[in-house]
This record gives sequence, structure tokens and C-alpha cells, in this order.
Amino acid sequence: MSQFIQQVVLGLLLGGVYVAVALGFSLVWGILNIVNLAHGALVIVGAYITWDLFTRLHVDPFLSLPIDAVALFVIGYGLQRGVINRVIRAPLLFTFLLTFGINLVIVSLLLLIFTGDFRSVTPSYSGSGLQVGNVIIPYIRLGGLAVALVLAGVLWAILNRTRTGAAILAVGADRDAAQLVGVDLRHVYALTFGIGAAFAGVAGGIISTFQSITPTAGDPYTLQAFAVVILGGLGRVSATIVGGLAFGLIEVLGQSAPRLGSGYANAIAFVVLVVVLVVRPRGLLGRLA
Amino acid sequence: MSTGDRGSPSWRRRIALVVAALALAFVVLAPLTSIDAAQQAGLPLLTDKLWLRIATTVAMFVVLASGWNIIGGLTGYASFGNIAFFGLGAYTVGVLVANRGWPFALALLVAPVVAAVFALIVGLPLLRLRGHYFAVATLGVGVAVGEVVNNTGQLGASTGLFLPIIRSDLAFFYLMLGAAVLAVVTTWIILRTRFGYGLLAIRENEEAAAVIGVNTTFYKVAAFCLAAALTGLAGGIFAQWSSFINQENVFAISDNVQMILMAVVGGAGTVLGPVAGAIALELIIQTLAGGGSGAVYSQIGLGVLLAACVIFIPRGVIDFFGGRSRLSLRYFRQTLRETSV
Repeated sequence: MSQFIQQVVLGLLLGGVYVAVALGFSLVWGILNIVNLAHGALVIVGAYITWDLFTRLHVDPFLSLPIDAVALFVIGYGLQRGVINRVIRAPLLFTFLLTFGINLVIVSLLLLIFTGDFRSVTPSYSGSGLQVGNVIIPYIRLGGLAVALVLAGVLWAILNRTRTGAAILAVGADRDAAQLVGVDLRHVYALTFGIGAAFAGVAGGIISTFQSITPTAGDPYTLQAFAVVILGGLGRVSATIVGGLAFGLIEVLGQSAPRLGSGYANAIAFVVLVVVLVVRPRGLLGRLA
Repeated sequence: MSTGDRGSPSWRRRIALVVAALALAFVVLAPLTSIDAAQQAGLPLLTDKLWLRIATTVAMFVVLASGWNIIGGLTGYASFGNIAFFGLGAYTVGVLVANRGWPFALALLVAPVVAAVFALIVGLPLLRLRGHYFAVATLGVGVAVGEVVNNTGQLGASTGLFLPIIRSDLAFFYLMLGAAVLAVVTTWIILRTRFGYGLLAIRENEEAAAVIGVNTTFYKVAAFCLAAALTGLAGGIFAQWSSFINQENVFAISDNVQMILMAVVGGAGTVLGPVAGAIALELIIQTLAGGGSGAVYSQIGLGVLLAACVIFIPRGVIDFFGGRSRLSLRYFRQTLRETSV
């Protein structure tokens, strides 16, 4: 029994990471109608920044998260303004291909800069955890979950309490109407993608604390972010939280099932994806389209 | 967007056809001539082992791009999971030849059947999805099938499968070429049948197609299975040709994107677009990889190429032939204006 509780706790903690990864992905998809295949690569860029700051300057990984956010915001803003804005009105296959191309370039550049070696961030507290009864809660995972919830709060506040957020939501609701009332589309698109990238960067910083990173380590996260958004539903911060936590639970419990192992992370994500798409296409909490 | 049947053939078109026929004859027949004879005649192409390899790869991508074109280009369902069919075809041949001792020719006949049956099974639920949902769900199919193969002991798990080597580069070239011709002819025939018009109708407006009596589910699944069979056939040939298969070389998502890019760059929804795209892009990729600069730069090159093609020639290079559009700076500026904010 206590082992089951342990699994549930680990599942929820892992789910926190998925919340962090999926927030930006969901924002970009919901507002820009872009399924960003480079999302995983942006996550890993954040992870490398945290790793670099940790190994060179001994910056605590959690303190480097704001730096990840700022760096990735700049990269994301530039990518959208310079490149993706050029095909935003094209059929969705094109944004798909374009973001895959961006993914390819980012991963290759990371390979050139950091080589393909496994890198890990190991602060002094990385091995320890909180013990409650027979259940152990690793500090790092707990920190990750906390950061994810803070991120969700920040995103909610940006969207619902600021002028910029109002502009972003307006563009998402009706592009042409937003332009008519004076929203600068190019800027708001770039801003939205930049925020999405910043969140991806923070998620990457969290990921670097519990997983060894390589340039291609981000690829599974793109599919998983997609699964989380499908599971929770598109277009709401709360839906992403529910989807992420549920997905973490499903993955941990699925992998602890007999005869399955950690090698099936993608297959589990895929099965969740298809089942939800077929049975309840709008997700657990999604709005009706 | 359908091809071939527009207007009376002009003289430019005739010349283009003659040139294409000559080039094709050269490509097909050059390997038959002995190396010496070819060198004397100044025909270095294809007599070289490397070039034969590249030509076989090009033919393979013609099959893959044409197969994708049937579901992605004609029917409008952008599948990112066709690589699963390729891998399944490869593993069908791999298991039957390496583990069961079947002759390659017999095993190759089974490969497309397995791929098509799999397409039928996953197609029924997945083809109810559209747009992003279909694209990512199929992407998941490719990743998931590869992962399952990678974790299954009977399939060699992560070590892969080794097939007995058959040493005949020429035979594999012609085999792959045969598959490529089959793929192109299949597309050509489809576009001239009721079935083809049904697929185009689904692409343009699925509800309207259903209203005028197209059995959309049947048409979509049939197109998916056809694409799968062709892709599986190419996978089967590839397995024996490379004599080693594992998850990485037959379930690579980047290969899936490559076939889409080829179809799109050439001109999706046309018969010859995917062929042109496959030849052009594979040669570019080989040049990038063969320039001694290594795989990383070739990946960067592919990524940049991807971006440039998507941004500047969204309708494919086929748009420049047959007098539809002229290659000019104005063309690029216009396509840019159409799609950007």
C-alpha cells in the first residue's frame, strides 16, 4: 500500500514537470494555432543554460530559472518575429514543418556547442528528500512542482490581469477583430511565442535537476506536452494543470505495471492521446470548441 | 491542383517531356553498361558504387514521398506516422528472413500486406481526427511503434536484426526503381478514377464530399492503406538492402519529415511533384552530408532548407512548370505576403 502511495506521490511530482512543459506549448497552440514541434528543443536550451551556470559559476539551479526565462523569451520572440510570422497564415502543415526545421537546427547547434555527452546538474540537496511515514518526497521534485504551480499562476495573471494578456487573448479569439481595434499582430504573436518559450526554458531548468540532458533529450517532451494539452483540454491554465498532473500519474503508474518498463514512456503518451482524442476530444476540462 | 491534363501540350512541354524521358532512360540504363564503357562515354554517374547507393536512396524516397502524397497530398491528411509503415515493412522482411529463414522474395510480398493491415487498424480511429490532432496522433504512432519494437526481444530489441547479406547493388537499385515506378503509376491511376476525385473532394471539403455521396471513411482508410502498402514495400526492400535494421534506421521521425518535405517541395497533390522533390532534396542532402562536414551540418542544412522551402515556395517547385508561375523575386514576395502577418 505504501508503495502505491509512493507511486502516486511520484506521479504527481512528475506531473508538475509536465505542467511546466505544457503551459507554454498550450499557450502557443491556443493563441497562435501553432503546434510547436521545437518546444522540446527550447526546453533543452533552458536545461543547458542552467547546467552551464551551475558547472561554471555554481549557480543554484532554481536561482537560474529566471535567467532561463529571459534568455528563452528573447530567443522565442526573435524566432516568431523573424521566421514563424512569415507562414502564420499558411496551412497548418507548413507551421508544422517549419517548427520541425527549427527543432532540427536548435538540436544540431546544441550538439555542436555542448557535444552529445550526458550532462547533469547535481546540487548538494539532490539526493535528499522529505520523509513522511514510508513515503519519500525528493526535495528537487517538490521544488519542481512548486515552480510549475507558480508558473501557472503567473500565466493566469498575465492573461487575465494585464493589458498585454487581454491583447493576447483577443488575438487568440479573433485575429482580424483584434487588428481592427489596434492590436499590433506581429508584436503580440512574437510576445506570445516568447512567453511560451520562456516557460519552456524554466521547465528545462527544472528538468536538468533530475534528468541527464543531451541535445535530443527534449524530443519526447514535445509529444508529452501535446498529450497533456489533449488530456486536460486546450485554452485554460487550469486544464493544463489537471492534464499535467493526470498525465504524470498515468505515466508513473503505467510504467510500474508488470512487464512494462521505463522504455515505454512515448508509447504510454501515445495511447493516452488516442484514447482521449477518440473518447473525449475536448479533454477533461476543455471548453467546447 | 491535379496534373497532366491541363490544356493542349505546348512546345515547351514537349521539350520538357523529351528531356525527362532521356534523363530517365539514362538513369535506368546507365548501370547496365560496364564501368569501362561508361567511363569512355563520359558517363561517370551510377557506375560508381556510391552513386548507385544514392540513386537507390533517391528511388526509395520517391516511393515514400509518393506514398505520403496519396494520404497527405491528395486526401489532405498530413500523416507524420508513415514511417511506422516503413519500419513495419522492414521488420516484416527482417523477421521472416532472419528468424524464419524465408526467401527474401517471398517475405517482400508480405511486407506491404502487414503495413496495410496495420494502417487499417490505426486508420479507423485516427482518420476521424483532423488537422493538428491527426498530425500529432500519427506522429505518436511512429514513435510508439518504434518504441515497442525497441523493447521486444523477439525483434532484436535495441540491438536490431541482421539479415543475410545479398551482394547485388544493381538488383536493389532496380527493385527500388520498380517500387518507385509502381508508386508513381498508382498515383497517376488514382487521379484518373472516381476514387481519386473522391479523395480530392475530401481534401477540399469533407462535409461537402460526404453530402454528395462520397463514403469518406472508406475513402480515407483506403488511401491510408494504399500509402501504407507502398511505404511498407519500400521498407521491406530497404531491410534486405541494408541487411541491418534497428529502431533508429527504420523508425526515424526525421525520415518521415523528409518524405513530407519532398512531397511538399515538389508539389503535393500532383503525380510528379513528389518525384521531383525526392530527387532534388535527396541530392542536396547527400551533398551536404558528403561534403566532409559531417552529419551535424547536414542536419542544420536540412533544417534551414525546410524553413526556406516552407516560407518561399509553399506550393512546390512544380508550380514553376507548365506556365503556372514564373520563378522571380516577385513570386517569393507574393507567397510571403500571402502567408505572413
